Amino acid sequence: MEEKKQHKTALPEKEPIPSAQAPEALLDIRGLRVEYHTDEDVVYAVNGLDLTIGKGESLGLVGETGAGKTTTALSVLRLIADPPGKIMGGEIWFEGEDMLQAKPARLREIRGSKISVIFQDPMTSLNPVYSVGDQIAEVIHQHEKCSKEEGRRKAGDMLEMVGIPRARYDEYPHQFSGGMKQRVVIAMSIACSPELILADEPTTALDVTIQAQVLELMNELKEKLRTSLLLITHDLGVVAQVCDRVAIMYAGEIVESGTIAEVFDHPHHPYTIGLFGSIPSLDETAEKLKPIQGQMPDPTELPEGCAFAPRCPYATEACRTHKPEMTGVGGTQMVRCLAHQGVFESPELMEEVRHGR
Amino acid sequence: MADKDVILEVRDLKKYFKSPTGTLHAVDGVNFSIRRGETLGLVGESGCGKSTIGRLILGLHQATSGEILFNGQDICKMNKQQLHDLRKDLQIIFQDPFSSLNPRMSIGEIIGEPLRIHGKVHSRTELDKEVSRLMDVVGLSARLFNAYPHELDGGRRQRVGIARALSLKPQFIVCDEPVSSLDVSIQAQVLNLLKDLQAEFHLTYLFITHDLSVVKFFSDKIAVMYLGQLVETADSAELFRQPMHPYSQALLSAIPIPSSRQKMQRVKLIGELQSPIDPEPGCRFAKRCLYAQEGCTGRDLALRGFGNGHFCACCRAGALHEPSISE
Repeated sequence: MEEKKQHKTALPEKEPIPSAQAPEALLDIRGLRVEYHTDEDVVYAVNGLDLTIGKGESLGLVGETGAGKTTTALSVLRLIADPPGKIMGGEIWFEGEDMLQAKPARLREIRGSKISVIFQDPMTSLNPVYSVGDQIAEVIHQHEKCSKEEGRRKAGDMLEMVGIPRARYDEYPHQFSGGMKQRVVIAMSIACSPELILADEPTTALDVTIQAQVLELMNELKEKLRTSLLLITHDLGVVAQVCDRVAIMYAGEIVESGTIAEVFDHPHHPYTIGLFGSIPSLDETAEKLKPIQGQMPDPTELPEGCAFAPRCPYATEACRTHKPEMTGVGGTQMVRCLAHQGVFESPELMEEVRHGR
Repeated sequence: MADKDVILEVRDLKKYFKSPTGTLHAVDGVNFSIRRGETLGLVGESGCGKSTIGRLILGLHQATSGEILFNGQDICKMNKQQLHDLRKDLQIIFQDPFSSLNPRMSIGEIIGEPLRIHGKVHSRTELDKEVSRLMDVVGLSARLFNAYPHELDGGRRQRVGIARALSLKPQFIVCDEPVSSLDVSIQAQVLNLLKDLQAEFHLTYLFITHDLSVVKFFSDKIAVMYLGQLVETADSAELFRQPMHPYSQALLSAIPIPSSRQKMQRVKLIGELQSPIDPEPGCRFAKRCLYAQEGCTGRDLALRGFGNGHFCACCRAGALHEPSISE
């Protein structure tokens, strides 16, 4: 892999801005904006998103349906269907290269070899008429010059690495259970030892015991291969078990980010607090949950100020007119909230934050 | 034991389906009872037969053998007319609010349909009034009366499903994964609503789910199901404090804990879920169980009592060391 010739692509006009924060950022997304244009409406899916992932780091991207998580991941590989999707602005720096300026041929080189994807549904991401081994070998042949036997041997190694006996190389996807299929997809994603894996709800379609096995496998591989991981999920439990850092996404923006300990022990944003209040705890017996009121805003007409203001119990008049900025609240934790920005004071919110979990 | 209190009792219930490769034992000798006003959580992984039990209770499937006594009457022996009458008292909320609502009927029509079918109202104004009241009860705004399902998001659709189930003032509702397709913040709203309704109307729920943290929050008692059989039943807190069956232990230990301080201590399972087609007699879990020994296979195991309302079907239960997951 190392000896693979580096394609010289037309460099973007702009020189890469030296990153202020994380010195060893592998992926650095800045001000990403993605819209979907339909006949009637414009859906504002991602609205100025900033995100960095360091080398060997795993970041959990958490949010509800329609928050823009998948759109963000697909943008990194430029897999947004256009039309209707359009990347309207921003930069996505990966190893010193802006993915948004990359040519199609260069993107094909990167996809699967430097950045690979694991999709939610293993049933639909495998081709039913090719054996699982050949599907893994296909990725290897796409990116590495090697003989047929060599490819077969490597694909077999990958199967063994994810805990599937080599003897099942010639079997077809329908002969595997859901958890085993997801292992095959994982084997495929690590076949060319990528720098970054984008995993979009990799365990959502699986049963809880199988999910635990797959999460354990991902943790093992992470340690062994030192691959960076962007894990997209709506399950805070999965993030806590797999990731180093977490970013909470709401209506196309990151509203809170930090290490697992920072965000899980002391959530600062009212939305994050609401998310934790919505999940039943296994430790204590609560009579009632404390859900967030209302629904996600319509992505075709987002509120003017803070996107969460209409559902926020602490919101003031300022929240409806002013867009909050990401503000540091100690350590690496950042929050997008006017109360934490110091625009207004909310003793109730601060009490909730101090109390923590 | 005040048997009067028991609203639903299931005795040795079996449901087999014919398949090209053999007989699929979806439900294979299940016994449980639910007391009035209580919630029984039925948990298990996909394909274990939990939804089939829900459908059998409503008479949507014909049982192969066994009895389902609802207020003392056997549902399995009822004819069409009796089942029709029964559904006034026995309702279901389905998992997927996208496929369980007729896209060509308005919200008002969907909620009012059971009232019309059962002749509970006598005029259009009476019907509209009752539907509006139900919409108010489940927190749907009145302006949605003439809306169609596609105009609603998942959470609101599920509220429509709940309003429809409530319309006939049932005593018992089967909730088949009612929140699985909803986002967490919406899920919490719907769970709270179901709890409020239970207290207000003295409802009894059979709560079918694969989500263990939801079931602990929601249920008084929990029954754990594996390949067509119950392996353990206990009070909700008791089960989580001290799961006895190796499968329950594995299941509970597999829950990803949303905390920075607790890491999963997974109880390992061997292999994958076995096929429910023509299973061999004996513990269905034996092939995946770390503690399996000779006595586990050969004959089917019944639930045994261990005091405190705790029942377990493992022949080694009590003798095994139970790792407690909450510690």
